[in-house]
Amino acid sequence: MKRYILVRLLKSIVSIFLVVSIVTLMLFTLIPRMNIFEKDGAYKKLNGDAKTSYVYTKLDELGYLDFVRQSEMCALASDVTACNNNDADQIAEVTKLYEEKGYNVKTMLNGTLYGYYDYKPFEILWNYFSKVIVVDNPDFVKNTYGVELENTGYYFGLDYNNIPALMCNGSQYKYQIYFDASFPFIHQNIIHFNFGKSYPTKAGMNTLDVIGFGQGELKSKDVTFETGQTFKSPVNLHTAKYKVSLDGLDSKKFNDNYADCDSYYQAPSMVNMSYLMGIISIIITYGLAIPAGILMSRKKDKLADKIGLVYINILNSIPSLAFIFFMRQIGLMIGLPASFPQLGYFDIRSYIMPILILGLMSTPSLMTWTRRYMLDQANSDYVKFAKAKGLSEKEVFNKHILKNAIIPIVNGIPASIILCISGAFITESAFSVPGMGKMLPDSIKLLNNNMVITLVFIFTTLSVLSVFAGDLLMTVVDPRIQLTSKKGE
Amino acid sequence: MEDNRFTFVQVDDSLSEHIAAPKYSYWGSVFRKFFSSKVAIAMLVISGFVVLMSIVQPMFSNYDPMIAPNVNNHSMWFIGPSLEYLFGTDNIGNSLFDAVWSGTRNSLFISIVATIITTTIGTIVGLFWGFSKRFDAIMIEIYNIIANIPTTLIAMIMVYALGGGIWQLIFAVCVTSWVGTAYFIRVQVMIIRDREYNMASRCLGTPITKIVFNNVLPYLISVIMTSVSRDVPAFISYEVFLSYLGVGLGYGKASLGKLISNYSPYMTSSPYLFWIPLSISAILSVSLYIVGQKLADASDPKTHMN
Repeated sequence: MKRYILVRLLKSIVSIFLVVSIVTLMLFTLIPRMNIFEKDGAYKKLNGDAKTSYVYTKLDELGYLDFVRQSEMCALASDVTACNNNDADQIAEVTKLYEEKGYNVKTMLNGTLYGYYDYKPFEILWNYFSKVIVVDNPDFVKNTYGVELENTGYYFGLDYNNIPALMCNGSQYKYQIYFDASFPFIHQNIIHFNFGKSYPTKAGMNTLDVIGFGQGELKSKDVTFETGQTFKSPVNLHTAKYKVSLDGLDSKKFNDNYADCDSYYQAPSMVNMSYLMGIISIIITYGLAIPAGILMSRKKDKLADKIGLVYINILNSIPSLAFIFFMRQIGLMIGLPASFPQLGYFDIRSYIMPILILGLMSTPSLMTWTRRYMLDQANSDYVKFAKAKGLSEKEVFNKHILKNAIIPIVNGIPASIILCISGAFITESAFSVPGMGKMLPDSIKLLNNNMVITLVFIFTTLSVLSVFAGDLLMTVVDPRIQLTSKKGE
Repeated sequence: MEDNRFTFVQVDDSLSEHIAAPKYSYWGSVFRKFFSSKVAIAMLVISGFVVLMSIVQPMFSNYDPMIAPNVNNHSMWFIGPSLEYLFGTDNIGNSLFDAVWSGTRNSLFISIVATIITTTIGTIVGLFWGFSKRFDAIMIEIYNIIANIPTTLIAMIMVYALGGGIWQLIFAVCVTSWVGTAYFIRVQVMIIRDREYNMASRCLGTPITKIVFNNVLPYLISVIMTSVSRDVPAFISYEVFLSYLGVGLGYGKASLGKLISNYSPYMTSSPYLFWIPLSISAILSVSLYIVGQKLADASDPKTHMN
């Protein structure tokens, strides 16, 4: 069993990796790279050399190519100063050097030299994935900023709440492992994922921060800083990062250079928003579909069963968009808002319709399967025997049939999570809910490649692991089921 | 009693050769079973009407979303449904009636072509998948990878990367969905591949290809029909979904999803613009689905006996 879990986990990782690489390659090679500037306001305002320089800097940042300026190229010349002063021989020398390395060397309108090297598909992948996992280390400050700190290394200390924490001097984050009151209570800053920067929306921000940070207004409260001063501030001191140059306000608050903190926001992040809605909707799905499926199987061919079948058929075939707008219209009639931003984050009425719709959308398949399994079990010998023993109809249903029929249903829980994700794309878009589901089509429309890759990674990981979890869950519910096949079978 | 009221009967040898069983024709029974259901007939009429309209009407209207003769003529904008303009006119003065049928034609085309491709590839691969153990080992890994990924996600990325044409959209939705059909067929094949008549066939030296196409495939007709009846509405829904999110068909092409997406800003001011295309998509999907389900039921020989 342990071996099976290990192999299965490896396979899951491979399939996530495959999907993300295929998507990355498609995005980087199939979409004309100049298209990404279509939605960029800054690009439109620029002209001439400034535009060229901007384009190549951005493309370099996004991982399409390697961009070198004249000063960088001249570093390889035999006479650096002459090269920087546009000496013809030296220019020809470095041009030849760089062209041999596969660079395209060109001159700007003002005569300065520049070059770029288009990464090959496999280099794009390598560059992307080699940067994905970032491990914080005590030499971070030295390697990144060239600043030598004293006493670098890990140490145990007390954080601002006087709770013990593993801290580090010389790393990017001050607090490496710490505890606080928010789920899951123990947090780490040692390993971070880096999926690149968001562009053109929220330019310069890490994609994970865009979906992981809170939204809405900043949430300020009184914070006592290390220096003993108290300010009204939204900062989360646990996220303190190294900052090279401190301003006046920073030195009033902090004793050291770890002064770059994330903020608390009033509204939940996109990730939390989608999770919250997804989990409640799954509870609704199971709460409605399983009793309905059981009822249908008990009243087979009677009115309840027929109504249920009509409901299943309609929901199976109707375009999900039509269903969403139909439900939204019903919501409008009873006074619920037509879109999320109308009442905002802090009104429960904003959440009712999107969650209900998400929940209802995955009921038909679950109802069909519940009914099917219940009917299959009802015809089996042990049920006939139980009836012959004189057990009441209710006892047979609850104690014999239900327990056996529930096994395959448990395996379906993860599938409904996947369904829930696909449903979230359209439900969140229709209601303008600020969650991950709406973010995907939005970032596709804005050609925000790094964001698309990030979301693909998250959704794929979520569904791969949930299918895995479903299989494991099934072995827990029914010990007879074994995922590993024994020899000789 | 007079003897002339009786005649001698000749003994007819050929009659004893005749088997006294009711005449059975497979397709005859399928149609008899199908048309015995009133719901099936009603849905067939509705879906037939919508399909016919979407084929015939665009031939006369020659609707093109890029041509807007009344774009500057304000009096032609937002005319509600009337006798002259059955479905009214839209925000640029084009007739919604023309737009809807032309859009329906494209949506139907996408969904039917995608269903044909998915079903053909899925069935052929599924048949061999169910038979060959070696092929099964490879395919099950591929299935595990693809089945774990939300297919909508892949379709969105594909359309995004390939561009918003009709054929690109068809490719994007087919690329992952054939695996589902193949898996479905595989399970059915595995159930019947070891039945006695197939074992007998194999013992007699019939090649696998012949067993697959002559022995197994006919048995699968109702299963394939079930899968088709699910696929057609699913692909219509898919197109509507992707185009509504703005990641489906590109500019200059009408489809139900594009219409719904284009007209959604006028949902409160001119509700008919939004609700008519949406209702057509719903009516089409539901009726085609039910027709397909009934046809699948009717094509199962087990239902022919009563």
